[in-house]
Amino acid sequence: MAPEKDAQNPLVPTVGRIIKIIDETPDVKTFHVTTDHGKPFTPMPGQLAMLSLPAVGEGMFSVTWQGPEHLEFAIKKVGVLTEALHEAEEGQMVGVRGPYGNGFPIEMMKGKDLLFIGGGIGLAPVRSLINYCAEHRDEFGHMWIIYGARSPADLCFKEELFKNWPQIPNSRVDITVDKGDENWTGNEGFVPAFLEQLNPPPEGKVTITCGPPIMIKFVLQSLEKMNYKPEQIVTTLEMRMKCGIGKCGRCNLGSKYVCLDGPVFTLAELNQLPGEY
Amino acid sequence: MRAIKKMDISSLLELLSRQGTVYVPVREEDGLVSFSPWSPGAEIAWDAGNSLVPPKQLLFPQTETIYRYRVDGLNVSLDELALDDIAPPQVLVGIRPCDVKSLEVLDAVFLTAGYVDTFYQARRNRTLVVAQACTKTQPTCFCDSMGVSPVEALGADIVLYDLGEEMGVVVQTEKGAQALAGAERLGQEKEVPLPKAPECRLSANVDGLAERLKGHFYDPVWDELYRKCLGCGICTYLCPTCHCFDIDRENRGQNGWEYRAWDSCMYSQYTLMAGGHNPRPTKKERVRNRFLHKLQYIPERYGILGCVGCGRCLAKCPVNMDITRIITRLQEVAAGE
Ligand SMILES: Cc1cc2nc3c(=O)[nH]c(=O)nc-3n(C[C@H](O)[C@H](O)[C@H](O)COP(=O)(O)OP(=O)(O)OC[C@H]3O[C@@H](n4cnc5c(N)ncnc54)[C@H](O)[C@@H]3O)c2cc1C
Ligand code: SF4
Ligand code: SF4
Ligand code: FES
Repeated sequence: MAPEKDAQNPLVPTVGRIIKIIDETPDVKTFHVTTDHGKPFTPMPGQLAMLSLPAVGEGMFSVTWQGPEHLEFAIKKVGVLTEALHEAEEGQMVGVRGPYGNGFPIEMMKGKDLLFIGGGIGLAPVRSLINYCAEHRDEFGHMWIIYGARSPADLCFKEELFKNWPQIPNSRVDITVDKGDENWTGNEGFVPAFLEQLNPPPEGKVTITCGPPIMIKFVLQSLEKMNYKPEQIVTTLEMRMKCGIGKCGRCNLGSKYVCLDGPVFTLAELNQLPGEY
Repeated sequence: MRAIKKMDISSLLELLSRQGTVYVPVREEDGLVSFSPWSPGAEIAWDAGNSLVPPKQLLFPQTETIYRYRVDGLNVSLDELALDDIAPPQVLVGIRPCDVKSLEVLDAVFLTAGYVDTFYQARRNRTLVVAQACTKTQPTCFCDSMGVSPVEALGADIVLYDLGEEMGVVVQTEKGAQALAGAERLGQEKEVPLPKAPECRLSANVDGLAERLKGHFYDPVWDELYRKCLGCGICTYLCPTCHCFDIDRENRGQNGWEYRAWDSCMYSQYTLMAGGHNPRPTKKERVRNRFLHKLQYIPERYGILGCVGCGRCLAKCPVNMDITRIITRLQEVAAGE
């Protein structure tokens, strides 16, 4: 039989390098990754990548933003791989493969007012969308960002939160923390309560919400109370993943794979699927 | 078809071995049947029905290296594997119609829906499938309920029929014809009617089941169906269509390799996430996932049933979980009984 030309196995990563590490919070760092040939790939907002530290492990992460030459990942320290990444220094080589997942439904969002609701590290995927919308400002309506974290120290992407995003034309940023400190003058309280207090009206809006499962659960309840329809609510799911390409079977919700068909779903779509997340 | 005297079968296998390593069903010392490399004189378990370990292991090995790496301070280098090395040509002789059908399911998973698994593809392309039709069934077979005829193996390159003194050989593909070039001197052409399909003792009605299961994810029937399952995972390891895998790594000093290995949705670790959250926390969710995956999710995603009726899972389950009885129960539930 004729030998075939070896196609690249989709499970084999491209080798890249961490060129910059930014401390966001005590347990979140942002990593800038590039390769000798420039940016590994150009994902759409909300898409994912498998990032690996050879000899340690591999994990799925949202591409939180990108430059012309690099991808950015905001990573929370929770286990073996993420702890090792937090120990890594600039110059460390890593493996990266992707882009994976469907990303945010940009077309459906065009012309609408956007309400972004994030909690903790859940701002990572949402950030890619906020920055994208800021770059394509005239394609979207009003942008309202509501974000919360446990404490002022736990707020991610502070420069964007306090400086860049409030300057986006026709936008508004509201921030809350569960518990403030002596310097905190902003709102105190959980995101769902803060959201209800701000009470953004549902008309003409799409809302994008991402955060810890418990926050999402209560935010969805609040949105329902505020008369948001399931079709207007966009969220992202997290399931354990290994392959990222719909083969290893791990991340299924019914006949959908979160790694391929997600991680972004509208609540209307999720209501059609088994609630196993 | 061409009829070859059984004593001349080794000449046929000899001929096929020009294509690559020939694998045949062999009865091990402990009585278990699995596919092993053939050599002249080897005892072939022609009468054993389907092997205990499905032939999928020759296309999708239980563990396989994905790439090798070397870590040197901050630097890392990766070594990809050459497909020629991981996928030497092979000939699977004696695989049964149910297992031939299972290759269609594995093809759908590994070769379609967005990404191609190049390792599986390379092995598949370099595999000649020589099926053996079944003239008798085992007590646990129910392939005919799953749309498989025990005497047909549509996806095979060549099909063998046990004709008593002789073995009938039918070529089904161009690839099969090429492999048998030179076989003219073996046996003779004969008009022989195809053997009658033997009956399966078990049966299950899957008519419309995938569609009907849709509204029954939260049905109380699952509280009853999962109870006796031990969560051992045997059913998934022996299933010819189960394809789930884990990815992990082994380190030896600065060197190491990333590998994948069969995994099972019956294990609690399978979906466990950092922080302890588990979307399928108990056996109930896991058993439900296994059956719905075979009967509803694979049909929805790939338009093909996920069970081929080989009977391995019910033959080897320590507590007699029987997918045919579960299908019957699910049909009753779907019919509102
Ligand atoms: C779609 C998606 C997007 C994500 N985006 C981000 C992000 O932007 N930033 C971020 O910090 N984290 C993100 N995560 C979570 C991240 O993948 C896990 O925190 C990480 O894999 C944990 O690895 P670990 O080795 O440190 O943890 P351990 O608990 O030591 O990991 C053990 C094993 O479980 C797997 N695992 C554990 N938790 C998860 C999880 N939540 N999701 C998937 N696999 C898991 C790991 O891959 C590993 O195989 C995302 C997860 C998904 C599924
Ligand atoms: S073999 Fe039987 S007991 Fe074991 S996991 Fe499968 S169904 Fe459960
Ligand atoms: S589910 Fe059971 S009977 Fe069906 S193909 Fe798998 S092992 Fe065979
Ligand atoms: S991560 Fe393997 S199927 Fe989704």
